[in-house]
Amino acid sequence: MTFVRDDLRPVQRRAAAMLAVTVVALATFMVRLWVLQVVQGQRWREAAENNRLRRLPLEAPRGMVKDVRGEVILDNRPAYQLLLFPEEMSDPTRTAAFLTHLEIAPADEVRARLEKARRTSHLPSVIADNLTWPQVAAIAAHAAEYHELEIHPATRRSLPPGATVAHVVGQLGEVSPEQLVERPDLRPGQLVGRSGLERAYQDVLGGTPGNLVVVVDALGKQVSALSEEPPVAGRPLEVTIDLALQREAVAAMSGQVGAVVALDPRDGAVRVLLSQPAFDPELFAGHLEPARWHELISDPLNPLHDRALQALYPPGSTIKPLFATGALKDGIRTPFDTVYCTGAVSIYGHPYRCWQAGGHGRMAIEQAIEQSCDTYFYYVARDAGIDRLASWARMFGLGSPTRIELGGENPGLVPDDSWSRRARGQPWYGGETISVGIGQGPILVTPLQLAVAYAALVNGGNLVHPHLVPGKGGAPQPIGLPLEALAHVRSGMERVVNGERGTARRLGNLPVRFAGKTGTSQVMRKKEGVKWYELPWEQRHHALFVGFAPVDEPHLLVCVVVEHGGDAASVAAPIAARIIQRAFGPNAGEGDVTATVPPIWQNTSLPPPPSPGSETGVAGETVPPTAALEPAHPANRAEGRPPVHAATTSQAPPTRR
Amino acid sequence: MRRLDPWLLIAVLAIAACAFLAQSSTAKALAAPGHANRQLVWLAVGAVVLLLVAFADYRVLARLSPLLYVASITVLLTLFAIAPLRGGTRSWLAIGTYTVQPSEFARVVTILAVATLANEYRQSRLNFAAVWRMSAVVAAPALLVLLQPDLGMALTYIPILLGALWLCGLPWRAWVAVLLGGAVVVAAAWLYLLKPYQKERVLTFADPQRAPYSSGYQQRQSKIAVGSGGITGKGLHSGTQSQLRFLPAQYTDFIFAVWAEETGFVGAALLLAAYALLVIRVFMVALSARDRVGAVFAGCAGFVLSTSILVNVGMVTGLAPTTGITLPLLSYGGSSVLATCITLGIVQSVWRLRYANV
Repeated sequence: MTFVRDDLRPVQRRAAAMLAVTVVALATFMVRLWVLQVVQGQRWREAAENNRLRRLPLEAPRGMVKDVRGEVILDNRPAYQLLLFPEEMSDPTRTAAFLTHLEIAPADEVRARLEKARRTSHLPSVIADNLTWPQVAAIAAHAAEYHELEIHPATRRSLPPGATVAHVVGQLGEVSPEQLVERPDLRPGQLVGRSGLERAYQDVLGGTPGNLVVVVDALGKQVSALSEEPPVAGRPLEVTIDLALQREAVAAMSGQVGAVVALDPRDGAVRVLLSQPAFDPELFAGHLEPARWHELISDPLNPLHDRALQALYPPGSTIKPLFATGALKDGIRTPFDTVYCTGAVSIYGHPYRCWQAGGHGRMAIEQAIEQSCDTYFYYVARDAGIDRLASWARMFGLGSPTRIELGGENPGLVPDDSWSRRARGQPWYGGETISVGIGQGPILVTPLQLAVAYAALVNGGNLVHPHLVPGKGGAPQPIGLPLEALAHVRSGMERVVNGERGTARRLGNLPVRFAGKTGTSQVMRKKEGVKWYELPWEQRHHALFVGFAPVDEPHLLVCVVVEHGGDAASVAAPIAARIIQRAFGPNAGEGDVTATVPPIWQNTSLPPPPSPGSETGVAGETVPPTAALEPAHPANRAEGRPPVHAATTSQAPPTRR
Repeated sequence: MRRLDPWLLIAVLAIAACAFLAQSSTAKALAAPGHANRQLVWLAVGAVVLLLVAFADYRVLARLSPLLYVASITVLLTLFAIAPLRGGTRSWLAIGTYTVQPSEFARVVTILAVATLANEYRQSRLNFAAVWRMSAVVAAPALLVLLQPDLGMALTYIPILLGALWLCGLPWRAWVAVLLGGAVVVAAAWLYLLKPYQKERVLTFADPQRAPYSSGYQQRQSKIAVGSGGITGKGLHSGTQSQLRFLPAQYTDFIFAVWAEETGFVGAALLLAAYALLVIRVFMVALSARDRVGAVFAGCAGFVLSTSILVNVGMVTGLAPTTGITLPLLSYGGSSVLATCITLGIVQSVWRLRYANV
């Protein structure tokens, strides 16, 4: 037997090749380790820290807001928030199903919030707040399954009952992505002021959120706390609002649509700022559900609209004292020039009627204000011309924002020739000047602007900067009005309430004397022989009243605008009177002031749905209370004025005959 | 004793020491103090078994290999009947209080069977019949393991066949055929065999951003663990990734990450060097074996070892997809340690008898 030794050299060559490949691969892995551990070490160390450290936001309680007498307008109450740690979420569908089951929100809303939280940041986001106890208990019980969820104690804004301060305090809202970019100290999901005082004084009220750094394991269980950076609570804010007066305004305005502004005419400190209807600020205290939001924005009365600052109204006869002052200042009229009112005049070939069909007779400036004689002011307007009227209006701050802290103001409109050419592409039509002379036509103001203008009228001719926080107003700016002119105009306004032919003389025997001016601005062309309360709501005139007290040295000026209120003297003036009685009357602090004030005619035909129940159902059926049925004597005002719609600025020349 | 390869023994001891330290760390993290001690016992038993096998004659084992092969196939078959369902597979056999994973030992027997078969074809290139026989010898146990089902373990049988075919030689046209066949098998597996979660793993490896919270999670946590170890590591028992359990399967598949996190680049490089030494020595045995059985056995064993190491460390460091292949000697598990030690014992035997006369 011949033994043939097996030739192993091919096998050895191939084994050597294998060895070489293996060594090269192992060397590659060595390089890989070097890259991971040495070159990229810092990055992975940070990733490991992110893994184990969890930064829990500690929300700063927002500052309280107190009114001028120290009563709390806005406070906090405890609530529970639900935080989501997006990186921990393994199955969004499962989490969404769980949260939907707990009735945190409807299914698609929950999904939207989770999706948003995942997109926004790797930091935890607040996905629900104001959790109920059963929800808190259920989430706590399932903490091991859903370690992306965490219950967090927090606070929520609370408002006192009865005071409708919604538009003043404004809304909180989740911080927007743009704000996050600008302000690195804000956190995703944090609530910040979106409007009103909450936004204007976010820096005061907001405070600084804190942090709690804890070590967690892979299941999200807290192993230990590393450090705590406590939140700094927001500072309290004292505002000039007088909650007692605000409440009185809310009560007086109930069932009406419009705005009330009250301020101290000496410095512009705002005492009452009310827009009706208002919304429930509780809706915005946390996360607003789209359904509720839709409900709010589809309300025809638009509760979100802050009528005091944003709505424009033709000032109607309330413009007359302003133009009277201007006329006296520029020497267009002396206090003793008279006009004979026959109830109708013809200017530029067109007839214009005074609201008093039979005419007022001979009128000097004080009587013209007292009785709101249109004829007198038609001639003032004709003699002054539109540019002068506009300059007077601007002198009182109309046509530009009042710069109140809240922002979002409408600047209003003071028309003149250049405006007409710019906005309408046609020259100013002289006939319109006559309408503007009695506050109709394209001239439009906000209730706040009107209050500021009147403040200058009664404080000796100084334009104030309205403000909500003491000291933010600055010094009033003198506008150079002769004191004598102001005295005559003020005397006229005193006679409006206290004179024997004043348009608001039914309020002349109240415990507290006050003065003011009525204004009924026309929305639709007046129908012959139809009482104003027989018209549908949206066709009635706007009712305005600006009043002030005490008469000799006014401390409080109240501007009331009631949309489609119908009649100034029986709707707007009593509202102002109630606020003034509340401020200065015998039982100013507490008690009922309504007994002393004639009843306010209540709207019974507001369009649906202002609020369920009372106001809507009986439109046209309910007869107003007798006291209001024959309101004063100027029941049919606005006679002979051209038809103007409140919101429109374009206008046909007055061709009424 | 002096005729054994000291370098191979040193490498095994070094790896065993690292294994004990790493396992004691995971034992602390998982609050299971018994783990580390049991691993230590198995490593000790494994060392004894290694020496015992080393002093046996591998040629006798090769002659017994048909018997061993039939026995291991029988055990794998009986598993389907008697093994309890654990984690969805029937791969474990309960013996008293111990559990044994027969597929680990079947793999050693398969390597031995293939090496013995190779000895029948003493030419520089294999013929067609030899390729088929070798493929059948490897495929039989591999399919049984695949049906358990234990895909990760079944995959470790592939290097046996590839290693043997490479060592014994194939014409290049045959390699083309093998590669094409492999591609067909992979495609078929992708379409019909792989479960969704397995496909997801592969896709995640290809695109780590694909699912950062599910499949990608394990690999990301592993890379964080390894990378955050830095140069000198966070210290034994102080790795945040392992101690706070961010690291998945940390006593089996991802044990290397525990070691790398706690000892840093220094420790990880030393361990990798120990593995390199082990693999190099095994291949050196293949180069100096006195016969074809020894050479093919050692070469195949080296190839199987090195692929396991490369696939596992590749997975841990993010260079390979998550496959569930363990790291020899370091990963927790008695069967794995014992099977590896038996393999290395046979390799030592080949080394010891490299000059022996016929």
